[in-house]
Amino acid sequence: MTSIELDQLTKVYGAGRKAVTAVDAASLTIPPGEFFFLLGPSGCGKTTLLRMIAGLIPPTRGRVLFGEEDVTRRPVEDRRTAMVFQNYALWPHMTVRKNVEFGPKMRRRPAAERRKVAAESLRRVEMEDYEARKPNQLSGGQQQRVALARALAAGANCLLFDEPLSNLDARLRMQMRGELRTLVKTTGATALYVTHDQKEALSMADRVAVMHDGRIVQVDAPMDLYDRPATRFVADFLGEANFLSGRVTDRTRPARVETDDGVVESEADAPADGEVTACVRPERVRIETNGEGPAANSISARVENRIFLGEMVQYTCTLGSGRLWKVSALSGGRAVAPGTDVRLHFRPADVCLLTE
Amino acid sequence: MDVKLLDNSTPTRRRGSVGQLLVAAVFLFLPLAAFLVYPLLEAIRLGFIHEGRASLYWFGRTFGNEILMRQLANGVMLACVTTLLCLILSVPLAALRAKCRFAGQSVLGIAVLLPLILPPFVGALSMKRLLGRFGTLNEILGQLGLIDLSSGPLPPDWLSEGGFYGVAVLQALHLFPILYLNASAALANIDPAYSDAARNLGAGPIRTFFRVTLPLMRPGLFAGGTIVFIWSFTDIGTPLILNYRPLVPVSIFHELNGGDYTGRTFSLVFVMLAVSVLLYWLGKFVFGRPVEAASSKATVQAETRKLGVLGTALAWLLFGGVVLLAILPHIGVVLHAFSDRWATTILPQSYTLEHMRSVVRDKNTYSSILNSLRYAGVSVVVDIALGSLAAWLIVRGRMAGRKMLDGLVMLPLAIPGIILAAGYVAMTVPGSPLQAIGPGGNPFLILVIAYSVRRLPFVVRGVSAGLEQVPETLEEAARNLGASKAGAVLRITAPLIVANLIASGVLAFSFAMLEVSDSLILAQTPESYPITKQIYSLFTSGTGDSVNTAAALGVYGMLLLGGTMGLASLLLGRRLGAIFRA
Repeated sequence: MTSIELDQLTKVYGAGRKAVTAVDAASLTIPPGEFFFLLGPSGCGKTTLLRMIAGLIPPTRGRVLFGEEDVTRRPVEDRRTAMVFQNYALWPHMTVRKNVEFGPKMRRRPAAERRKVAAESLRRVEMEDYEARKPNQLSGGQQQRVALARALAAGANCLLFDEPLSNLDARLRMQMRGELRTLVKTTGATALYVTHDQKEALSMADRVAVMHDGRIVQVDAPMDLYDRPATRFVADFLGEANFLSGRVTDRTRPARVETDDGVVESEADAPADGEVTACVRPERVRIETNGEGPAANSISARVENRIFLGEMVQYTCTLGSGRLWKVSALSGGRAVAPGTDVRLHFRPADVCLLTE
Repeated sequence: MDVKLLDNSTPTRRRGSVGQLLVAAVFLFLPLAAFLVYPLLEAIRLGFIHEGRASLYWFGRTFGNEILMRQLANGVMLACVTTLLCLILSVPLAALRAKCRFAGQSVLGIAVLLPLILPPFVGALSMKRLLGRFGTLNEILGQLGLIDLSSGPLPPDWLSEGGFYGVAVLQALHLFPILYLNASAALANIDPAYSDAARNLGAGPIRTFFRVTLPLMRPGLFAGGTIVFIWSFTDIGTPLILNYRPLVPVSIFHELNGGDYTGRTFSLVFVMLAVSVLLYWLGKFVFGRPVEAASSKATVQAETRKLGVLGTALAWLLFGGVVLLAILPHIGVVLHAFSDRWATTILPQSYTLEHMRSVVRDKNTYSSILNSLRYAGVSVVVDIALGSLAAWLIVRGRMAGRKMLDGLVMLPLAIPGIILAAGYVAMTVPGSPLQAIGPGGNPFLILVIAYSVRRLPFVVRGVSAGLEQVPETLEEAARNLGASKAGAVLRITAPLIVANLIASGVLAFSFAMLEVSDSLILAQTPESYPITKQIYSLFTSGTGDSVNTAAALGVYGMLLLGGTMGLASLLLGRRLGAIFRA
C-alpha cells in the first residue's frame, strides 16, 4: 500500500478570458492505509481531482506522488490504482467473472491465479454465486458490489471511489456505508473517496478534505471538522449552523465577542481584533423558558416554528436583531409553543469563531 | 423510426382519421402497391411459372447451372472483400475522429463523406487507365524505379482476376463513408466510463480498443456492414464498366437488357432477393443486436486528446489520403474527358476541349442529358408531392395503418436496384397490358415511375425530420386563434419545413441524375437513354474516342450532381445528415 501526495495540483480548462479553473493548487498528503474523503458540492472539483490522481485527466500544473515516486507523467494503465465508478462501468458484454478477472488479466497473472483472486473478491462482497451472470441481469446494489470486487481483485496500490453509492436507494446506501468501510479497512488499502454527501463522509472517513470552487478549504478528522469548522462554508456544509457576527473585545480565553444580540464567550482561539463570526450548532443550543439567564451566551429570542422530524424536533427562532436561529432537540422533551419568548443558552466550548 | 401514436377518442378525430386513411389509400397505398409491391411480386412469380403452371423448374435450372452457382459464390466473396475493405478504411478514421481533436477536423469530417456522392459507375471508366497493365500506376512505379518497364516480364495487372479487386476497391471507396458514419455514431454512444475502467485496470489504449470499445461498437458496425454487403452483392454498374462478368447481377442485366430473358432470369432475381433479405435479417436481429447495456448514463464527457503538430499532420495524411484515394478514379475520369493524346505517360500528353464539345454537339449524348433532366425532374415533382403527404400522415396523421405506410414508403431503400428493375421488366413483359410503357415501348413513364419510387424514401425522411422539429402546438395555437386546419398547415407548418422540402427534393434530383440500375435496364432504345445508359453505350461501343466522350459525359453528370448537392447543403446546412438516418 502506498501513500498519496499531491503537490499544487491544478487543472484549468480553456484559455484566456474563458479559462475555468476546476482544481486550484490542491496539496495533500494521505498516509498509507488511510480512508480519505473528498467532500464538496457539485462542481467543486473533487471528481476532477480524483481523475487526475487516476491518470484519466492530465493536470495543468503540479505533481502526483505515490510514495516517493512522481507519477504525474505516468499513463493511467501503469499507475496501479483501481477505481469504482459512479455508474459502475461494468462491461455489458462480459460476465461478472470476466469483469472481475480483468485487472489480473492485464497484469498477466496466470489463469488459475486469476480465477482464485476473482472468486475471493466476489466472496468478499457476497456475490460469488453470480459469476456467470451478465451485468444487465443484476440489480443496482449487486452491480455496485461487483464493481467493488473488480477493484479489489486488481491488487492495486490504492482504491479510488467516485461517488459509488449515489445511484442506490437511501436504505441500501446506509447499509453499504458500513460494509464498504469494513471491507476497505480489512484490506488495509489506501483509499480515496469522493462524495457530496456529508453524512457519508462523516460516518466513513478517517480524514476529510472539504473542497469549494476548486480549492481545498479544510482537512481534518470528521469530528474535528464538525466541531471546529474553519470557514462559514464548511460550517454550513456539514450539518446546520447558526451564525452571529460581532467584534472581538477581549482575546484572552474565554474570548469575548460583542454582538447585536448580546455578549458571546468562546473557548476557541480568537483571531486578531476585529470582525468575527460566532458559530453554534443547533443541537448545542438550549431553550430556556424562564426569563433570566447568565450575562454571556444567553440570547433572547422568540420561537417562530416547531417542526417534528421523528427522532428530533427543530425550532426556528427569531433573535432580537431579526436573525433566524435553529435549535434542535431530541423529541420526547418538553415542547415549546410557537410565539413563546425564550432565552437561548449555549456553552463557550461550543462556540467557534470564524473569519471567513 | 419513431411513430407517435395519438389519441383517437373524439368523434371528430375519428372522422378525420377515416378521411386521412382514404387519402392515404388513394394517393399512396394504391400507387405503391401498383408500382412497388406488384412489380416485386410479378418478378418473383415469373420465376415460379413454367409452361403456364407453378413449378420449380427454373430454380432447378439455376441451381443446376455450375456457372451461375460459381457466380453466386463469387458475388458473396466480392461482397465480403468489399465490406472488409470498408471496415479497414472506416474504423480507424472514426476512432481517430472520436478520440482526438486537431485543426481542420470538421473540414476533414465532411470531406470523408464526399465519396458517397461520387458514383463508382463513372469512376470505373478510368480504372483500366489507372490500374491496367500499361496504366498510370505502373507508369509511376516505373519512374520511381520500382519496376522495370522497358524489358523483362510484363508489368503487373492490378486489375488481375479480370478485375475482381478493381470492383471491390471501387465499391469500397464509394461505400466506406456509410460504415464511417455508423462507426462514429456507435462510438459517440459508448459511455466513456467503460474505457476509463479498462485503462484504470491496466489495459493500454490498444488493448482497451479491442477488448472493450470494438465489442461495444459491434451492433453499429453490423448495421452499416449489412448495407455495404447487400449493395456490393447486387451492384451492376461497377462490374459492367470494369467488364467483370462472373457475377449474378451482370448475368441478370445482360438477359434483361437484350430482351432475352426467361423464367430462369427471374428465379435468379428471387435468389438474390432471398439472400439480401436473409443477410438483412441476420445483420439486424442476430449479429446487430445491441449489447444489453446496464442502465448507465455517461457522467463525464469523453476526454479528447488534442493532437500536436506531428499528430495533426498524421491525421491529415490519413484522412486526406483516404479521400484522395476515393476521388482518384474520378480525377482520372476528368483527365480522360480533357485528354487528347494519352498513351503511356502518367498524365495526358496534350489536352483538348473537343470531347466536352462533342457531347453537346452529338444528338445522342446531348439528348441523354436532356432525358436525365426530364426523368429526374418529373420524378422529383412526384416525390415532393407524395413524399410530403406521406411524411405528414406518418408524423401527424391519426389514421390506422401509419406504421404500415412508413414501412411501405421506406421499402425501396431495402430492395436492391437490380431486383426492382427486374420487377419493372416483369410487369411490362410483352403480352402484359402494361407492355406499351415497358422497355420495348416508350419507357418515359416507367422510368419516371421507377425513379420516383426509388427516391421517395429520401423525401419522406427529409420532410419527416422537418415535421418532427415543428411541435404540433404551433398549429394548435393558430387553430385556437381562428385558423382552419388547412390554413394552419399552410401558414404555420409549411413555411417552417420548406427548407427540408426543397433540400430533399434537390437531393433526390441529384441522386436520380446518375442513377444506374433502372436506367441501364429499362432504357433500351437509344432515344430514351439517360446519362448513365449513354455512358455505358459509349464505353462498350469500342470506337476510338468513345471512352473519352463517355468520360466527358460523366464529367457533365458529376457537375450537375455537384451543383445540386451544393445547393442542397446550402439550403439545409447541418440538417443534411438527418436524411441519411436509417
